[in-house]
This record gives sequence, structure tokens and C-alpha cells, in this order.
Amino acid sequence: MKFYYFHLMPYVMEHDEPSSWVTLSNRHYDPAVGHTLYHQYLDQLEYAERLGWDGICVNEHHQNCYGTMPSPNVMAAMLVRRTSRAKIAILGNGLPLRENPLRIAEEIAMLDVVSGGRIVSGFVRGIGAEYYSTAVNPTHSRERFYEAADLILRAWTEPGPFAFDGRFYRYPFVNPWPRPLQRPHPPVWCPSQGSSETVEWAAQRRFPYLMVFTPLARIKQIYGEYREACERHGYTASPYQLTVNLPICVAESDAKAEAIARQHAMWVYHVGLRMLPPFWQPPGYTTEASLKRLLASRGKMPTELTYEDLEDGGYIICGSPATVRDKLRVFADELRAGIVCSGMNGGTHEATLEMMQMFSEEVMPHFREDAAVDETLGVGR
Amino acid sequence: MPVTGRIIVRDTPVDLLRDGRGEPLLFLHGAGGGGRWLTFQEKLAERFDVLAPSHPGHGASAAAEWIEHISDLAFHYLDLLDTLELPRVHLVGASFGGWIAAEMATMASHRLASMTLIDPVGIKVEGWIYPFLFAMELPQLVATVFHNPMAALALAPPDMSIETLAVLYRQNTALARVAWNPYLYNPLLRRRLARISAPTLLCWGAHDRLAPMICAEAWRKEIPGATLRVFDESGHVPHIEEPEAVAAAVIEFCQSQGRRA
Repeated sequence: MKFYYFHLMPYVMEHDEPSSWVTLSNRHYDPAVGHTLYHQYLDQLEYAERLGWDGICVNEHHQNCYGTMPSPNVMAAMLVRRTSRAKIAILGNGLPLRENPLRIAEEIAMLDVVSGGRIVSGFVRGIGAEYYSTAVNPTHSRERFYEAADLILRAWTEPGPFAFDGRFYRYPFVNPWPRPLQRPHPPVWCPSQGSSETVEWAAQRRFPYLMVFTPLARIKQIYGEYREACERHGYTASPYQLTVNLPICVAESDAKAEAIARQHAMWVYHVGLRMLPPFWQPPGYTTEASLKRLLASRGKMPTELTYEDLEDGGYIICGSPATVRDKLRVFADELRAGIVCSGMNGGTHEATLEMMQMFSEEVMPHFREDAAVDETLGVGR
Repeated sequence: MPVTGRIIVRDTPVDLLRDGRGEPLLFLHGAGGGGRWLTFQEKLAERFDVLAPSHPGHGASAAAEWIEHISDLAFHYLDLLDTLELPRVHLVGASFGGWIAAEMATMASHRLASMTLIDPVGIKVEGWIYPFLFAMELPQLVATVFHNPMAALALAPPDMSIETLAVLYRQNTALARVAWNPYLYNPLLRRRLARISAPTLLCWGAHDRLAPMICAEAWRKEIPGATLRVFDESGHVPHIEEPEAVAAAVIEFCQSQGRRA
């Protein structure tokens, strides 16, 4: 099994506003605090490489306290020169949010060349709230995503210059310098929320699929659909096309781990993902079929989840090293997922580093039967 | 009671309510308002042959993927007049429907015996930015649109079933396709308003918080000869908040134009 360390870079704070996204005033953001946080978070990602993680992950979100990386490529650029072995997974760039997505092709190519081919390039649509903070029309989201992905992939693989004439993006000359180092291009991953359209799109292209902060049962269902789609397209999905993405909390004992998780892991759900209902589903962001499916299976809102829900629903893995090993084995077996992508929060920077170390020493080595395998070979391209 | 019909306008199916006798009057509803026959329509139908189509994606009219811009909707309704062989109509549009009506009038005023715009959106007004309805939950939405919140009950959905929620989402999507950004206006429209030669009545709710009186003044200034009537007990939707008074004003205006012609 491969391990990727995932960071949201949250601006952890308490507030009484109805939404942590879009409308939460940035007067709450103290740049001096932000300075410290950014450095701690980058230290954690760099430390993950030293501890043996296979990859480190950054991601894009706008106008919120949940994740303060409006430009994941900027963060990746900082990591590229401070690491030398780990994959750097950008999960991902919000393609439809860009007016000029050719910039993504250029930026990823730059990172790939500088890093010596260590970049994993996630393609995402951005969550609903992002369409409020960027003013991009959400009814165009899906079409812009497909069109921008097509443009970027062609820009990486077809010798330029060529003309591109899409519905949303038009260029007389597509000819980016540099080209990416990995051939034919950096692996593309699809972090998504499980819409059948995206599952199909990713499976058809052998792009790994991952779901973030989703209960185990739903991940299992969607991954089943993904595998089926792969078979329909004439191949069997590699385990490295499926990623378990969830927070892990490990401590000396189950009781201590639970105490830490109760105090710190709940913040993501109760504050970080607190959002006005319209922000979850802007008009046209979801197809009517997907919307109906979502409404029919309507579970709790993140803010309604209790610690027990997280624990029982498999939103989180928590416990002593032995417990975490057992749970992780169950997850891996049930989902047949080859990559575990997770962030950790010990409450303080130092406690987080200790937790990471404990995980790397007491959990990770038990899952290294595939140590010699390159998880990006033949996957995501 | 109106007759419910389904017509095809250049391949696009349209759900149409129709009732009354007299000169034809085309009513274009506001966002989320399709498929309803309320007091306002009833009153107009006492004097006119009232046609009330639902916009594509609204009410029982299916979404139309080809509609990408407000002018597509304006051409759609000019096509509807052709399909129904109506050379000239009285045109009444409320809010979003008023925006479509104004676009139509800049294209083809000769098809209009008169035009009434009820609290239209559609132009940029200096000093005003329309509040972003797409970000609002129901209580805030009602408070923004209605002066008398009880009047909102007329537009309340029948239930909260998955099917109803899907219809509401479809309507919102149809609106967002043409109105998300620029939000609720066409940057090209304002200058074109001077082309309107149809006699124009502007009806405005005195307490409109979506498009307040500063907007009414801008419209009056831009449309040659436009008359402004203000309704003191209304917010953004006077035809729902004071239906009798607004219907009476529309009837009086249309008939006075008939006499003048």
C-alpha cells in the first residue's frame, strides 16, 4: 500500500457565522497567525517525505477557513525544491474556475520539470461554494471541466503550436513551454464527489478516482461503479486507481486517540464544512439525475455529524497503532484501494509531528508488501 | 380557468396557460413563477386573451439546452408569436420576464401594441448591485422579494418531495444559465432601450429591495416616453402583492393605447 500525506491547511478558528465559506469575513484572518500556520503545514508535508510517505498532497479552495490554499500550484512550488523523492499530488486544480486553463498546463509542466517528474495532477471542478467565490457560472461547470481537461491534455501531448477552438476556451496558438517531463504527461487524478458522469469519464481514461471525507459505504458503492466502468472500457482497474482519503488519528492507546480526535478532528466537519445550503449545490452544478440520487440518499450535513457517526461510518480511522493497522486493513480489503491519503491533527504542530512519526514507525511498515512498485506506472495517463 | 396547452416553438416545447377574450396579451413570468394562474392573470383575462407560457426549464416547460443568453429567450418568444400567428400583442413582463420583454422590444417593437414592465431587472444601474439571490436561503429570499411576506405563499411549492425539489433546481438552473454572470443584467441592453418605440408602462413596487426605485428611474430615463406607476404596498412583485391594482393599471394603459391608435 502507498501512503500520501494530505493537507488542507485550515485556518482553525471558532465562529458563530452560518458559513465558513464565501461569506465568512476575512477580517477573521490574521496574517501573522497565517505566517506561522503556513510554515508549520509546509514543515509537516516535508517531514512526511522524511518519514517515508510516498506522496504529499495539496489542494485548491477559495474564500474560507477550511483550507487556505487558493493556489495549490504555489504551495507545490514551495515543496518541489524542499523535497526530492515524494510524489507531489495537487488534488487538484479547479479547471472550470480558470478563465485561462492553459496556465494550468504551463504551471504543472513547470513543476514537473523542476521536480524531475514527481507531479501528480488532480483535475477537479471545485466544490459548489467555489462558483460563488469566483463568479464562474456553475451551469457551465461540467462542460468547462471536460473542455479544459481536453485542452490541457492536448497541450501536454500534441506538439505545438496548434489551434484550439472550444465553446469556452479558444486559442489561436497552443504551444506551452516547457512541456512536462513525465511521458506522455503527469498522472491525472480525479478527486470527485461520486457523480456517475465523472466516474465514467475518469474510468474511461484510466484516471485514478478518489473521494474525500465520505463515509465508507458510499466510497465502496462509487468505487464499485468505477471498477465496473473500467471493465466496460476493456480493462481491470489497478488498485492504484483507487484511493482511500480520510483523516487518521493515532496515539499510544485507543482512549488517547479518541480524546484527540474528539477535540480536533471534529472541527473540519462542525466548523470547516459549515456552509449555507445554496453553496453545496449551486444551480446547474449537478445534473438532475445526480441531484435526485443525492436527495434520495440524503444523509446528515457535516455539521450534524457526531464523533460516533465519524467512527461508525468510517469517515475517520482512529486508535492505537494496532487498532489503526486493523482498521486500515479492513478499509484496504473492502475497497481494494492501493493508496491511503490522509492528514493528521494532533492539536498542536509538535503533537502532529509526533503522531506522524508514530504512524510511520508502527503502522506504515506493516503495509509495505508493494514497496518496490511505482504506483504511477500505467496509471492516470 | 385557463386552458393548459403544449405548443412547439421551433422544436422547443412550451407549456402555455391561456384564457380570456380580447386583444392578445403575452405575460412573461418572473424567476420561479411559471405555470401559475393567479389573481393578476385572472383580472387581465377579463379584458384580454391572456397567454402565459412557462420559460424553458420553468414549470412544466422542459429545459432547453440551446438557451445560453437572454437574447435567446427574447428570440424564443418572438418565435412563439410567429408560431401562434400573433402579429401584435400587448406584452407584460415581471422581473426576469420584464428583462426578456425589454430585450424583445429592442428587437421588434413593431410587434408590440404596448409593453408593461413590472419591476424588471436586466440593466446595470450606477450605484446599485442586485442582491445575489442564488446565495439566499428561503427567509432571506422572501424578505428581499416581498414587501408583504404573506404574499409569498402564492408561490410556495406544493411539497418538498424529491420531484418538487428537482423542479425548483431546474428553474434555478435555467435562470443561472443566462443570469449568473453578469448577474441579472445584459451589459448591452441599456443603450439599446432607446430603440423601443412601443408605448411603455413601468409598474414598480415602492419597497422593492431587489431592484429599488433608483432602477425605476433609470428605466424611465432610457425608454422614450415611458410612464412610471408606483405601488405603495409592494416590494419586487406588485402583480402578486397588489394584483388588482396592477392589473387595473395595465388594463387602463393598454386600452388608452388602443384608443390613441
